[in-house]
Amino acid sequence: MTDLIRNFCIIAHIDHGKSTLADRLLQLTGTISEREMTEQVLDSMDLEREKGVTIKASAVRMNYRARNGQVYELNLIDTPGHVDFGYEVSRALEACEGAILVVDASQGVEAQTLANLYLALEADLEIIPVINKIDLPSAHPDEVAEELENLLGIPGEEILRISAKAGLNVEEVLEAVVQRVPPPRGRDDLPLKALIFDSHYDPYKGVVAYIRVMDGKLSASDTLRMMITRATIKPIEVGIFAPDLRPTSELHAGEVGYVATGFKTVRECRVGDTITLATNPAAEPLPGYRKVKPMVFAGIYPVEGEDYEDLRDALEKLQLNDASLIYEPETSQALNFGFRCGFLGMFHMEIIQERLEREYDLDIIVTAPSVEYEVKLKTGETILIDSPAELPEEGEIEEIREPWMYIQIFSPTEYYGTIMDLVTKRRGIFASQEYPAPNRVQLNFEIPLSELIVDFFDQLKSRTRGYASLDYQFAEYRPDDLVKLQILVNAEPVDALASIVHRDAAYHIGQTLISKLKDIIPRQLFAVPIQASAGGRVISRANVKALRKDVLAKCYGGDITRKKKLLEKQKRGKKRMKMVGNVEIPQEAFMAVLRLRED
Amino acid sequence: MEPVPYSLYLHIPFCHHRCAYCDFNTYAGMENLITAYCAALIREISQVAGSAVDKLPVHTIFFGGGTPSLLPLIWVEQILETINHCYSLVPETEITLEANPGTVDGDYLRGLHNLGINRLSLGVQSANPDELRLLEREHDYFAVIEAVHLARNAGFDNLNLDLIFGLPYQELDTWEKSVNLTLDLSPDHFSLYALTLESGTPMKHWTDRGLLPEPDADLAAEMYEWAAERLDQAGYQQYEISNWARRTTDNVYRACRHNLQYWRALPYLGFGAGAHGFAAGVRTANILSPRAYIQRMEKSAHRQFPRSSATANLIEVDQQAEMGELMMMGLRLTNDGVSANQFKTHFGESLSDVYGKEIEQLVRQKLLEWVPFEDGLHLRLTPYARLLGNQVFAAFI
Ligand SMILES: Nc1nc2c(ncn2[C@@H]2O[C@H](COP(=O)(O)OP(=O)(O)OP(=O)(O)O)[C@@H](O)[C@H]2O)c(=O)[nH]1
Ligand code: SF4
Ligand SMILES: [Mg+2]
Repeated sequence: MTDLIRNFCIIAHIDHGKSTLADRLLQLTGTISEREMTEQVLDSMDLEREKGVTIKASAVRMNYRARNGQVYELNLIDTPGHVDFGYEVSRALEACEGAILVVDASQGVEAQTLANLYLALEADLEIIPVINKIDLPSAHPDEVAEELENLLGIPGEEILRISAKAGLNVEEVLEAVVQRVPPPRGRDDLPLKALIFDSHYDPYKGVVAYIRVMDGKLSASDTLRMMITRATIKPIEVGIFAPDLRPTSELHAGEVGYVATGFKTVRECRVGDTITLATNPAAEPLPGYRKVKPMVFAGIYPVEGEDYEDLRDALEKLQLNDASLIYEPETSQALNFGFRCGFLGMFHMEIIQERLEREYDLDIIVTAPSVEYEVKLKTGETILIDSPAELPEEGEIEEIREPWMYIQIFSPTEYYGTIMDLVTKRRGIFASQEYPAPNRVQLNFEIPLSELIVDFFDQLKSRTRGYASLDYQFAEYRPDDLVKLQILVNAEPVDALASIVHRDAAYHIGQTLISKLKDIIPRQLFAVPIQASAGGRVISRANVKALRKDVLAKCYGGDITRKKKLLEKQKRGKKRMKMVGNVEIPQEAFMAVLRLRED
Repeated sequence: MEPVPYSLYLHIPFCHHRCAYCDFNTYAGMENLITAYCAALIREISQVAGSAVDKLPVHTIFFGGGTPSLLPLIWVEQILETINHCYSLVPETEITLEANPGTVDGDYLRGLHNLGINRLSLGVQSANPDELRLLEREHDYFAVIEAVHLARNAGFDNLNLDLIFGLPYQELDTWEKSVNLTLDLSPDHFSLYALTLESGTPMKHWTDRGLLPEPDADLAAEMYEWAAERLDQAGYQQYEISNWARRTTDNVYRACRHNLQYWRALPYLGFGAGAHGFAAGVRTANILSPRAYIQRMEKSAHRQFPRSSATANLIEVDQQAEMGELMMMGLRLTNDGVSANQFKTHFGESLSDVYGKEIEQLVRQKLLEWVPFEDGLHLRLTPYARLLGNQVFAAFI
């Protein structure tokens, strides 16, 4: 029965045209009517549409009558291309037998082309390379075909050349899928094993688990069991993505679909878990996924203390849509109660922040991001910390180790110098270089992750006019001469303003930070000394002078209302500040730490 | 009990030229409307009087602007006649008119005085020609000297001079010079205002674009403190954050009774475009545009006191709000502050019951102090807090 099923995903570097290709496939197969069609129709989140970027993978079922006359069931998963979302891609791959690798004909092979290709090969998928955007005047498909030939060993002339935007040669892509992607192997008569490869939260249906049935079959009337969490459910419905949720009576081996579980939290329904039947369970769960390791950590705090619960609920809901977000409660002496959150990268962090603000309407403060350090104590014990506030006293520390990364930068050769300069300024070490195509260079470095997370990507893009791309992998922890840079406001250390920096950079960063804070912290009734200290020594200091004049002048012709409004406004502004000791600190101060490298 | 006497404010929204810092409700080049405007003003004065239960007692009248000295004497006369007819003026009612030096001559001033205007307020602003030019004032300091001289000759024995400090480029010594020169003119009253850059004014625009330096708040504070001391030496006693007055030879203290009405949260009626009033538990504000005001006043159906046909905005003041406003205004009085007993009599609740926590903290911060008076304790700003009033007032709003 599975002979007529094909499960595949579309992978590529960011913006190479995955979602646009998906649009054409949906149109060609009549899955979406002309009336419902919009650009990148699978990017359904507001944020995705606004940024023109896929954030979350999405699945869709299509029926296609091939040239051989057979009607195939095609399950397509569109994936994100941004470097932060590699994990999202890797999960989708597990639900497929094939992958369309899209490469932009004007850009060629880029960092995530390679990264995602390796993921697909590791998952044992059939790769169908496709050169897209051949309609562009700057397209050079022959060179790109040569690059791909070198990479994949497929003759260049056999590689499809298409324009997803113009709908050129798109039907050939579907034919290639039908002919070259193997049908899934599962059997209906074995005990049920279905992989949860993603999920989202629906207020009516609870957690909706995206599944790939490996063996067996299931229907809405079955009692299902999660093999790892051991939760049991009577599903609300089962169905397929059309691309909206469409209930069906059954899902069979080899198929992709969903189970609406009715669960309200992620505790019961985890991405990577295996669903089986309560009555006839499988012996072993599927291997699942390796646990995602966040790269970047930051505190998220509600501006108003009373929003704490709402923030927690929002994070819980977001986690149901985004399995790679992790969080745990944290307290800060400056910001009170909040959450320490782990992200896959800076873009991921930005997305979460925006979703909390927009989809959940929360006023939040996000503290400067940090990496996870290994701290070896004099006692011989080693602890892990992901927040500068947790760093023990200098006297107790034997050694601080920080994560180092391997990075690959792909760029036109003309930017070689400026890239070298950027990386070495940030303690990066050159490893090797390759020339995958004429005028293109791949530079390999090692660099501390902490240097990477502070606007490295933006700097790289602006120095190379957007032409460079970047991929990174964890290398190892290495010791270095790191110190905690503390900020004292009115002689009190403010934990949320602390950072961990290299000793050589401490002086410069400390000075820049102090001069910024001096302008950001409003004048108070008394003079407020602010100091930066590192390694027990004050390295920079300044004074926020005492407020001397704050009074409204003339009350013109008895207009008291206006005066009152001005005072009310002043009072509201005060409320939005955080009291640290007896000093009012505005939110932007906490972000100043983040923006330091820009100057 | 005697009914509380009212104050009347009359707004004259015309100026020859708009000064660079000014965001008052005033208009240049609309002088052709003055006749129709005065007629409308007269209608409003009688309309509101007509809706009051009794003939209201009045003890101060204030012609503010704009430039009230642009009014022809005949209109001043008619307006005052109307007021006399509709309200009952107490003996020695204070009647102030604001005038710009350079818009007045001897005949005009004599005329005003004969009509009963007994207090004159001159917008001097500065004695320094560069500063006057920056402010785009149309007079020079000679016009000020002349105006004061003519006013004294005309019989005015209650004279106020307005000065502005904290200007861009202003230094302590030019300020000192302005204060000293105006002291030589021996006015009865001083108002010293710190410049605030109001949005929409040319001056704000210039500083935003970097064409003018931002005024230095610390320097302004120094100017204020210097002037406070200088005026004190010269025999002027401060009674409000921006106001100083001296005593006459027969010991009459020349504080402005009209402004005291605002600061004590006592009732006043506002007439004219954009004028504000506070009476019978409501705050009123009139329509801003003089043209619209004139039109509105053409119809004069009955309105509930203190509304008029020109009322554009009305806010009911409940007890809570009134208490807050009393604090915000009353604490501006640097000597008297707010009397605990009067507060209690007026509201039926004591100051410490309503604002105990706030007051305690502000006293601890040395922003407020309790001072014994004949009628018991008064709460007032400490001298240190006079320039930090907002930090105090905000606690009561
Ligand atoms: N000229 C041309 N532009 C194309 C073509 N295919 C896609 N584009 C454009 O390329 C941009 C990116 O397209 P998307 O389909 O959003 O790319 P994506 O790979 O899904 O991007 P991410 O999901 O963010 O990684 C859009 O502006 C498309 O209109 C093509 O064949 N020709
Ligand atoms: S004279 Fe007074 S009211 Fe008229 S524009 Fe100048 S400052 Fe404003
Ligand atoms: Mg996309």
